[in-house]
Amino acid sequence: MKIHIVYAGRNYPLSQQMPSALDLPAGASLAAALAALTSLLEPDTALPASCLVAVSGTHAGTVGRCVDRPLRDGDELLLIAPVAGG
Amino acid sequence: MPEIDLSAANTLSPHELARYARQIGPGVLTIEGQARLKAARVLVTRAGGVGGPAAQALVMAGVGRVVLAHGGALHTADLNRQVLGGEDLVGQGRAVPFARRLQKLNRFVTVEAIDHEPDQQEALRLAREVDLILSCAPTFAERLCLNRAAVAAGVPLIDAAQWGLTATLMVLVPGHTACLRCVYPEDPPFEESFPVLGAISAAVGSLAALEAIKLLSGCGEVLAGRLWLIDAYQGRNTQVQLQARADCPECGAAPPARATDTANPVGT
Repeated sequence: MKIHIVYAGRNYPLSQQMPSALDLPAGASLAAALAALTSLLEPDTALPASCLVAVSGTHAGTVGRCVDRPLRDGDELLLIAPVAGG
Repeated sequence: MPEIDLSAANTLSPHELARYARQIGPGVLTIEGQARLKAARVLVTRAGGVGGPAAQALVMAGVGRVVLAHGGALHTADLNRQVLGGEDLVGQGRAVPFARRLQKLNRFVTVEAIDHEPDQQEALRLAREVDLILSCAPTFAERLCLNRAAVAAGVPLIDAAQWGLTATLMVLVPGHTACLRCVYPEDPPFEESFPVLGAISAAVGSLAALEAIKLLSGCGEVLAGRLWLIDAYQGRNTQVQLQARADCPECGAAPPARATDTANPVGT
């Protein structure tokens, strides 16, 4: 199944080296998707623990504290590195 | 919606009705809603690219008391996003001259200045004196300090932020929605010099004021419990339904709610 990935906030540099979609086995979970993304990062880098995670419009926590859930084909995985500019 | 003491507002004078004539009517505010704004008190911190336009919109709309908190001086690199001050104020503190400028915009409201960022104790005291907090600070530490105060006092917190051409807006109502600590259980990293364009900071500041006006007036549907992501760089507009955390150290145990209209807590 195909999962669309959207990077926002301070994740722009990340988005330039990461795919905009993932092909995962049917029934794969959110944790599997995040693990697949992490495996694509350069060595010694990781998605920020505070990075917000949402699946098709529903908040799922952060990369550091995420409630795992099954994904469906066509889901949009949104990764927002928190912003605080005032 | 927040519990606002309308007795302080009495009724709107003919001069006030004339001033606000274009914003009272179908699809905007009711007369009662305008009176609620007159009686409302809002803390805005800070008065930068986001907080400045937000405070300006609140004052123009007729929010009765706006408290503007900002420490430190205005720098040249700040000028790309200031609507309340210009080059003549570089090197000077912002809160007092910005409040003075805002006061000139509307004689029917009161604008107060606090020339520093409130610490936790002062934030809690201020939270108990206002009906809503608009969080426009440049650090997560300040935002989370305001969140703690808002949750303890049971007043809504509107968190408006930007980075580059991206903005986020959250309307968080204690007792009814997630709080900011639910959203950020880990302290996000601090970035002292973030990229910013005045157009996006003014946009999210104005939208934050709009949510505040809806929440305080009881007019319109409030984005309570949602994160609105405006990614102007990619032309993307997304809303995320936020989830409260049962184990949240700020609101997870027994979140207080000062709002009394539990059937319609956010003025929708």
